[in-house]
Amino acid sequence: MKIRLLMAAVMGAATLSAQAADAAKGEKLAQAQCVACHGKDFVTPVDPTYPKLAGQYADYLEKALRDYQSGGRKNPIMGGIAKPLSRADIRDLADYLAGLPGPLDNTKR
Amino acid sequence: MKSNRPILAAVVAALPLLALAQDKKPDGAAAVADAPVSMCIGCHSIPGYQASFPQVYRVPKIGGQSQQYIEAALKEYRDGSRSHPTMTGIAKGLSDQQIAAVAAYYAGRGK
Repeated sequence: MKIRLLMAAVMGAATLSAQAADAAKGEKLAQAQCVACHGKDFVTPVDPTYPKLAGQYADYLEKALRDYQSGGRKNPIMGGIAKPLSRADIRDLADYLAGLPGPLDNTKR
Repeated sequence: MKSNRPILAAVVAALPLLALAQDKKPDGAAAVADAPVSMCIGCHSIPGYQASFPQVYRVPKIGGQSQQYIEAALKEYRDGSRSHPTMTGIAKGLSDQQIAAVAAYYAGRGK
């Protein structure tokens, strides 16, 4: 039990430090670029075919944005939004969104 | 007796079609229960599981995701507008009904 708590604390600290890099920048970008479609909590998108982003894995979100940039994943809206983002922008955005509370889960079968 | 065999064969061959026809309503509990998720859980129900090809990243959490987004994503993999070696292969084997059932199944498995 103690080990679990310790692990949780260490992981929590690691997450915080990873986000501390540019959490504010990620939030600013997300609020400017993403809320209009993905919802202000990133859980209630304006169209049900748009994904919920809050709490998604950061590295998956990064991959998705890079795929939109490269054209490996095609969507006219997301392609246009992803194109001007720098690698750092994408990392900041992904870290910010991954740290938000949401319903996404992968523990149930 | 022998003459009945072609009829029997035709009836047996038609059974899956009948099952498919009855499966039209994907929001029914039975359709969700029959969702072919055995091929999903090996990656999507293991917290932190990483795809190792073509890039290393954790496979997305899909439990609790919007049903219609999951459906759209699977159809994009199926028609090639979104590509991933594993997901393309899996989606190409799914019918519209199966995709709807899988999407409903995972949409209902959020926190």
